[in-house]
Amino acid sequence: MKLEIRALSLRLEQFTLELNVDLQNARTGIFGPSGAGKTSLLESIAGLRKPETARIRLDDCLFEDTEQDYSLPVRLRKIGYVPQDDSLFPHLSVRRNLLYGTDGQSKQNTFSFDHVISFLKIGALLDRDVRSLSRGENQRIVIARALLSAPRLLLLDEPLTALDAGLKETILEQLRSLHDEFGIPMLYVTHDPAEAIESCEEVLMLESGKITARGHPGELLG
Amino acid sequence: MFKFPRSILILAAAFALHNANAAEVNVYAAASLTDVMKEIAANYEKENTDKIVFNFGASSLLARQIAERAPADIFISADEAKMDDLQKAGLIATETRRDLLSNSLVIVVPNDSKLEITSPDALLTKVQKIAIADPRAVPAGIYTKEYLSGLGLWDKLEPKMVPTENVRAALAAVESGDVDAGFVYKTDANISKKVKVAFSVPVEKGPAIRYPVAIVNEAKNKRAAEEFLRYLESDSARKLFEQYGFIVKF
Amino acid sequence: MWLTPAEWQIIGFTLAVCTLSTLVILPFGLAVAWPLARYRWPGKLLVETLVTLPLVLPPVATGMLLLKLFSRRGELGQFLHNQLGIDVVFTWRAVVVAAAVMSFPLLVRSARVGFQSVNQRFEHIARTLGAGDARVFLTVTLPLALRGIVAGVVLAFARAVGEFGATIVVAGNIPGRTTTLSLEIFETVQLGHDTSAYRLLIVSVIIAFGAVWLSEALMKKSALR
Repeated sequence: MKLEIRALSLRLEQFTLELNVDLQNARTGIFGPSGAGKTSLLESIAGLRKPETARIRLDDCLFEDTEQDYSLPVRLRKIGYVPQDDSLFPHLSVRRNLLYGTDGQSKQNTFSFDHVISFLKIGALLDRDVRSLSRGENQRIVIARALLSAPRLLLLDEPLTALDAGLKETILEQLRSLHDEFGIPMLYVTHDPAEAIESCEEVLMLESGKITARGHPGELLG
Repeated sequence: MFKFPRSILILAAAFALHNANAAEVNVYAAASLTDVMKEIAANYEKENTDKIVFNFGASSLLARQIAERAPADIFISADEAKMDDLQKAGLIATETRRDLLSNSLVIVVPNDSKLEITSPDALLTKVQKIAIADPRAVPAGIYTKEYLSGLGLWDKLEPKMVPTENVRAALAAVESGDVDAGFVYKTDANISKKVKVAFSVPVEKGPAIRYPVAIVNEAKNKRAAEEFLRYLESDSARKLFEQYGFIVKF
Repeated sequence: MWLTPAEWQIIGFTLAVCTLSTLVILPFGLAVAWPLARYRWPGKLLVETLVTLPLVLPPVATGMLLLKLFSRRGELGQFLHNQLGIDVVFTWRAVVVAAAVMSFPLLVRSARVGFQSVNQRFEHIARTLGAGDARVFLTVTLPLALRGIVAGVVLAFARAVGEFGATIVVAGNIPGRTTTLSLEIFETVQLGHDTSAYRLLIVSVIIAFGAVWLSEALMKKSALR
């Protein structure tokens, strides 16, 4: 995949987020302290935030070009978004949450429901009440829901916070092999060096809205 | 020490003494008397220190209020039934009761109406909505029902009736054009510039309309009430009543 | 029977009219509540004020404004009478109009709170999953705002049933045609028929209980328990 982010400028509370970068790897990490602008960056790519200026292109699809006054609507960008906080629809069952992104899609564009369910090991949870799920179960279902909508790119915002070490390990495994299994690239935001080293091929260091370094996670963070 | 000019003190004392004798007379009167009574009271207050305070409304409502011990001094009803009720309940000074006025009914239409109503029969076919004061309670409505029942027209006309709170509201309904015609007193039609009389119920053929007046037993200031009652039967009052179209009964 | 046929007619009429008025204001109420909850624009204060007006003005004053508007000589009434042959004043339509206008602010207020309580994150996620504006509104926003909306509907219905001041001005109290429960209770009290008044009062209380019970039942049925 090729994600071009050019001339991005988004004014935040304490500083301005500014980026000019091309991303090519299957698993790219965005690393930085909290408040560095990582979430805002993901939101800009997904189209949930409008930067003052930007030109964003994913492969052959233009997302945003402020100079031409062009902005592709969120629903057409086919980006899977796993936010930091709870995002499962509380008024729908687990099953209906999972299927939300598959409405109106042809069978060819989606991954097999069973495939995704077994990959993330959430088969037993299908008929559970959304409110009764543990954080780990919750996260896996959110990832599955995003996957099932057959996105072109997966954005994960600190997906493993508040999980115990054992669970982290398991899900990290799954995320690492996600690309092999489904062919979807991902942007992985975290402030935990171990996670970054374990799961990403390349890491961008984000501090106060600017990229301060870029390279192999082992070298930068090890 | 602050010195008050003595003249101000004297004036203040005179004013206080003067008003110590001035009373308020609460007159509860039928809605149809609104305009004429206000003018009579204005004249009265020019020659008298007493102040007249009015409560105008449907006689049924006023009678009810007096029954609930509202602070009325004088009651002028638009029909005898309401006065009779209060008399039976011992609420009025019977020796002060007498008939003050009479009135007649008319059918009015909006000024710009093209309808020709030469008799009540015409109402059967020429109109859709007729305003009348609530025939269940308000004298003007009761009189109208009495009259139309006597002609055998009430049952057929009832579906067209739009009952209103009091006779002035019926007048207002005709003025607005939202009804095609209405039954009001002749005196009401005289007041309004926005309606015209289509048909006058001849006094001999119409219901016997009576406005009895009496002093309420629990009146606060009987002296002032009696004075005003006497004034209502004076020549100057008579002139005004007749000017407005009332038939004087004293 | 405990109630006379005339009283049954009045109760039936009142329930029918209030149901109709509530149904009529529902789409408009939501359409107004939604932008008030989510957006800001110049003139928003004016809209808020207009919507709140029937709540603040004395009901009779609102009735007079409606009378002026819908009278055969009024701006709207003229058009309806001359072009469509429809009269509003002194007919059941005026009862519906009065009920609708007086209960509208209550629906908007509750619905607005309902919409505001919906975390926009869910709407965002729905969009990333491919849902367009209409689908987001119907499948995410509305269900999550349901508590506030249902409360608004019940409040509006109850207000409509209790409506008196504006109704008597613009619809009059015409037995069999515009007399509502509230108007009839007033009339019976006026005439001194206290037992009738108490009977109808009990009916009003039953209707109030019914409305609240219905709203609870509806809430249970929705996914949000």
